[in-house]
Amino acid sequence: MLGDADETFVILTFSGGGTRAAAFSYGVLEEMKNTRLPGLNKTILDEADIISTVSGGSFTGAYYALFGPRIFTDFREKFLYRNIQKELALALLNPANWLRLSSPYFSRIDLAAELYDSTIFEAGTFKSLADRKKRPFLIINATSLYQGSRFEFTGGQFNYIGSDILSYPIARAVAASSAFPFLLSPISLVNYPYPDGYKMTDADKMALKDYWNNKSSYYNALNNTMYADKKRHPYLHLMDGGLADNIGLRAVNALYLRGGIRKKINSGEIKRLLVIVVNAKNEPQETLDKNESPPGLSTVALKMSTVSMDNYSFETVESIKKMFADRIEAQMNLDGCQQKLDEHCKDGYKLPPLAGGKMKLYVVDISFDNLSDEAEKTFLKHLPTTFHLEKNEVERLISAGRLLFKDHPEFKAFMDEFK
Amino acid sequence: MEYLLVKFQESRGVIIDGASEGMTNQVLELETGFHSVTLEAPPDFTPELHEFILRKTSVISPKVISFEKA
Repeated sequence: MLGDADETFVILTFSGGGTRAAAFSYGVLEEMKNTRLPGLNKTILDEADIISTVSGGSFTGAYYALFGPRIFTDFREKFLYRNIQKELALALLNPANWLRLSSPYFSRIDLAAELYDSTIFEAGTFKSLADRKKRPFLIINATSLYQGSRFEFTGGQFNYIGSDILSYPIARAVAASSAFPFLLSPISLVNYPYPDGYKMTDADKMALKDYWNNKSSYYNALNNTMYADKKRHPYLHLMDGGLADNIGLRAVNALYLRGGIRKKINSGEIKRLLVIVVNAKNEPQETLDKNESPPGLSTVALKMSTVSMDNYSFETVESIKKMFADRIEAQMNLDGCQQKLDEHCKDGYKLPPLAGGKMKLYVVDISFDNLSDEAEKTFLKHLPTTFHLEKNEVERLISAGRLLFKDHPEFKAFMDEFK
Repeated sequence: MEYLLVKFQESRGVIIDGASEGMTNQVLELETGFHSVTLEAPPDFTPELHEFILRKTSVISPKVISFEKA
């Protein structure tokens, strides 16, 4: 039996998809809460270290990070069962808001953020999160309109814009993450001057030399350090995180390649790494292909702005699976070589060990496609992306999340480790 | 990923690109590209810093850099 659960590092990613995504990821959280690690007085949810969220999934992830287990007593009523769309529409129609909305500095997204702040997140800020001094670490993902790249609401990212994230409201980060194109306007941030003594990090200095060696690292550094030019980029405008990555996994890829997870692996702090990807990708019933005449301008515009949201999700999951497979292969190669040396060389030479040792790595990718019940799969995949679903639809999504997590073969393999 | 072995006569914390990450005499897994490497205190080693490109390595054939006692 494995005695120390602290050597287990668990990461959750919650995709976009409105209330559909929020309810589906909530179902996974609920099942995690009910799943005890054999031989340990802990649940798998107790082990969650990071939650990376996008759009609709940000409501569930941020609520859990902010309020912990309370989510299981009040989140259904506070968010999942509500008709947020209707409430937003009513706020827009309220004459009391017309004057504010006529200002260029206040728009629909600000109304949405106010609604989320007062009725869901209870004026919670990133300082409220920090004050809890509890895992998981929350990464809310949005998209920077200027670069079309991922923007995460973390202290590290805010350092690049000369700002302190602690006073920033969680509700505004969630609003930016879920600012669906056309329906909601972007959230804007000020790019403040750097404090005295600010220096570019060594990691960015090195990465900016990497154009010919590693374009991923190079562009990551370039996108972050461009905010040093305060005159050229005095503001940032953020929209739905799904435009850059609709499953929240790219943040995890970056942490694994060059961030905190890489440092923990090289420092031998992780023995088991479990990544749970909750993807509420749907397949809306459309009639585009049934008409001979091409769709109208508004349909094309909406398609153009949202089609990218799911295009690269599959590849992102495959990419992290490949990185994990490469790690396991490296461990096996080193073991195999040492065995051959032991067999054929009598001087007892030992190859230098691989930092982190023999890690176990798992990717649990949960999507409606995993369902064996074809009727239920079709029903859930046809649910629209909206902030209003019927109660029975919400409950079916929660049940699907629970079932698909519990029955996933990779999760079963992970649990077998503890027996 | 790429592989780096930082040799030193004792076990010492390694600082990669400005942040603590792993120990000497172990194979460290890192991203392809430029890296700077030094050791944690005390400053009793030479050179002070290595800067290099890490590419085309494997776990059984890592790039090797060395620090000596000053």
